Amino acid sequence: MTPPLGPLRRAAGLALAAVFLVAAHAPAQEPAGPADPSRVVGPPRGHAPTAEALDARTDEVAGLLRCPVCQGLSVADSPATMAVNMKAQVKELLAEGYDEDQILAYFERSYGEFVRLQPPLRGVNWLVWLAPLAALAFGAWAVKRALGARRASGTEPASPPPGPDTLPEDPKLARYVLRVRELAYGWGGGRSPASTD
Amino acid sequence: MSKGAAEANQPSPLNRRVLLVGLAVVAPLVAVLFMNLGRNPHAIGSPLVGRAAPDFALRPMGGGEPVTLASLRGRPAVLNFWATWCVPCFEEHPLLVRAARSLGDRVQFVGVIYEDSEEQVRGFLARQGEAYPSLVDPGSRAAIAYGIFGVPETYFLDAEGRIAAKHVGPLDAASLAAKLRLVGLQP
Amino acid sequence: MTAALGRSLVLLALLASTLGAVVGGATAVRRSAAGWTLTRRFAYLFAAAMLAANALMVWALLARDFSVSYVAQVGSRAVPNWVAFVSLWSSLEGSILFWGLVIGGYVGVATWANRDKHPEYMPWAVAVWLACGAFFSFLLAGPAQPFASVSPVPPDGPGPNPLLQNHLLMVVHPPFLYLGYVGMTIPFGLASAALLTGRLGHDFLRPLRTWLMLPWTFLTVAIVLGGWWAYEVLGWGGYWAWDPVENASFLPWLTATAALHSAVLTERKGVLKGWTVTLVLATFLLTILGTFMTRSGVFNSVHSFTQSAIGPTILVFLVLALVWSVALLALRIDRLEADGAIEPVLSRDALFLVNNLLFVLFTFTVLLGTVFPLLVEATRGVQMSVGRPYFDRMAVPLGVALLLLMGVGPALPWGRATPAQLKQALVPPLAGAAIAAGIAALVGVRQPWTLVALAFGGYTAQVTLRELWLPLARRRAHGEQLGRALAATAWGSGRRRFGSYVVHAGAVIVIVAIAVSSTMGQSREAQLRVGEKTEVGAYTLTFLGIDQLREPHRDAVVARVGVSRGGRDLGVLSPRMNQYERQREPVGTPAVRSSLFEDLYLSVMNIDPANGTLGLLALVNPMVGWIWGATALMALGSLVALVPVRVGTRP
Repeated sequence: MTPPLGPLRRAAGLALAAVFLVAAHAPAQEPAGPADPSRVVGPPRGHAPTAEALDARTDEVAGLLRCPVCQGLSVADSPATMAVNMKAQVKELLAEGYDEDQILAYFERSYGEFVRLQPPLRGVNWLVWLAPLAALAFGAWAVKRALGARRASGTEPASPPPGPDTLPEDPKLARYVLRVRELAYGWGGGRSPASTD
Repeated sequence: MSKGAAEANQPSPLNRRVLLVGLAVVAPLVAVLFMNLGRNPHAIGSPLVGRAAPDFALRPMGGGEPVTLASLRGRPAVLNFWATWCVPCFEEHPLLVRAARSLGDRVQFVGVIYEDSEEQVRGFLARQGEAYPSLVDPGSRAAIAYGIFGVPETYFLDAEGRIAAKHVGPLDAASLAAKLRLVGLQP
Repeated sequence: MTAALGRSLVLLALLASTLGAVVGGATAVRRSAAGWTLTRRFAYLFAAAMLAANALMVWALLARDFSVSYVAQVGSRAVPNWVAFVSLWSSLEGSILFWGLVIGGYVGVATWANRDKHPEYMPWAVAVWLACGAFFSFLLAGPAQPFASVSPVPPDGPGPNPLLQNHLLMVVHPPFLYLGYVGMTIPFGLASAALLTGRLGHDFLRPLRTWLMLPWTFLTVAIVLGGWWAYEVLGWGGYWAWDPVENASFLPWLTATAALHSAVLTERKGVLKGWTVTLVLATFLLTILGTFMTRSGVFNSVHSFTQSAIGPTILVFLVLALVWSVALLALRIDRLEADGAIEPVLSRDALFLVNNLLFVLFTFTVLLGTVFPLLVEATRGVQMSVGRPYFDRMAVPLGVALLLLMGVGPALPWGRATPAQLKQALVPPLAGAAIAAGIAALVGVRQPWTLVALAFGGYTAQVTLRELWLPLARRRAHGEQLGRALAATAWGSGRRRFGSYVVHAGAVIVIVAIAVSSTMGQSREAQLRVGEKTEVGAYTLTFLGIDQLREPHRDAVVARVGVSRGGRDLGVLSPRMNQYERQREPVGTPAVRSSLFEDLYLSVMNIDPANGTLGLLALVNPMVGWIWGATALMALGSLVALVPVRVGTRP
């Protein structure tokens, strides 16, 4: 439940990530070390969180990654060994100063978009974020119209709403009902003291 | 409240708006479900295919210099992620051993151990045969860099260190031969 | 022999339901008393055949009759009898047979309960029920045949899924889920009948509402039982992961809840008839979609069954049901004219509409998120995920808004109100909101959404308690004792209203508990050797040692963890890893110590008896237990509201 990243920042991050992904297409050069993330996503662009904040931040970022061996659970949630290892790597990357977008891009290079539990804002993915907002707007309009239709027609309610105080039309039956209510509830005359129900 | 029976039996007009909204909701849903029938949701393509293989530097079991991606270059390589606790790995192992023995001068076979103990692997290899190095992958760093979903998964690298193909699940002779052709190995 | 008898019973059910559907439809058109009698007999015959088929399968499972294909597939001589019994619903074919039992039971009982009521609607309703029954009979006769003969007869079988044997909750969860899921067939039939006759009278709303609320209650319990099971078994410390299968059970619950509320407005004001019926139809369609999601193997989920011919068959049925529903609505919705109108102001009526808007929006969002990966796969050919971060982000504002609405709506009077009345209704509960938010701030809640949820929860709690108290106060004012007044209210003519507010009270607690448990937990992962300690929250955990157990059908490696808090010894917890016979992967079982406000949750990540090491996941989860308790409250309230009010005490 982190506050949404600014779209600009996110877009910039994606553009950068794209550049680095293109760079990664270049023929492999001499390795700088075993699986050096900076060769994939560029030099660290964020600030390493403080030691106290690191665990919480690790959980946040790991919560955005899908555990590849468990299907459905996030790396933060899953107790599987693979998830624990991925989480350790997230923590390491954060401590080295990589930011969230870089870390997600790093794992995405290996596992594809599948590994991101929160669809990144690109291409058709916009739909999954915007369609609920569109539905909200449409629904609000529909509700407003349903309420307004009544005002436009201008007729006043002809009868009170059926409720506990509504009585049968048959006068004999009505008297009987009132008597029963008086006996059962102690209501004077069988009429409810409060008719809000 | 209720209408007469005569009226109820008259044909009522078609509410086009309801029909259109209903179709707008239902048609795409049904189309998407039909298009996905028969697809295996657990088969996830690797974005690494066609790209430079991720770096690694892993210690072989039983000691020796770390095996790196650079050290594999010059020949095609087969990178097999496996574990002793995985039944399909057991099934494909003889095939890989045979292939490594017959093609060893032209293709580099490498095993990467996935979530397993060295002790178990030693015992397994002593029983089942060993023809190529098995690398120890602490913290599954290499497995993560290669996007492993489970074992066995096998990557085929060409002589320039580019990933030409990935095979998920146990290899059989035909698929091994087909994938080896992709990394430039003529039978 | 057994297999052949089973196949005959399935064919009998298919025959009875098909004929019953045809005769019922003809009776509805031609209005014949003899036809109606015949339709009912077919319904009873269908129910009896399904019951007999299930009894036979249970017998075969208990007798370990491996000549029956389903028994050969899930049976085992190694498992105890209770496991053999519950294997009935542990696997694909058996679960569909069990589905048949539930639909048979529902159709039989609903037919019998309405045998001499609503003559203009009932033949249509029974015809629709039996048509659905015919589909499931067909599924059992063809694609999902559980009674195929096996030859040669194997000496033993592999046994059911170990998760089923791992926890009692997995035994109770599926029956509740089926009672909820399958039960939605009944309101679907009733709503179809209303559309087919072109009328939805006041008297027919009562069975519609009752038969919607009954499966709704089961579904509510089933969803939470599923979450509880995940919490007690899966070992990650949570209860809801927005997995496609979980969403599949949540979607019809959302529309059914919307329909229950919209039905209140229909009953009170005579409006939204078409809309209520639409929601009921949608609920049923979502159960079939959910069935497809869990049984087609198309969705990437831990829980789902593997792919088979059953998936396409269910999809065909889904398409038929969708076409039926859309066509019926388009042709008949204009007949269901409103008898009244909604007040166009800030009133309870208007907020019922907002309630429906939010529930439908919730449904749309969850459905979109669940299906979206399939859409992307189909269009872009790329696998992607829509997971918990997305759903949380969408669900939190919706849930919080619904929580507030649950307070504001009932606080408002029906119809128009003067500004003074509005003020009198809406201002006092702010005290409840302030108290709840104040307490939350004092105990250290800093998450903005959690604070908002608690404040809204306080507001709604005050309104709900007031509404619960009012009828009691009225009776007490007339000299009744509190206990008597409570009994009279819960059993008297006001019980529907009283029960509904009990449900609301439960829902408030559930939402607040979800907000607190998902944001206020503490966790610790530690790699321990025997004798080492770690801490989580106020607890100190000591790894005491490892036990290895041999049980009849499983081996277990158990970690003994001593728990103390503030120097006080709280005993030993034993999270474990179970290794079942004939199953390769071990299954963990966490250990949970519950107290009033929080659970201490220990889960084994890895354990090595040889070296005496333990990878331990320790969590402190606040208020999780409140979710289970409050769900029981919701179910109880629902039952109180469900018992039909005697005709005459209320129009």
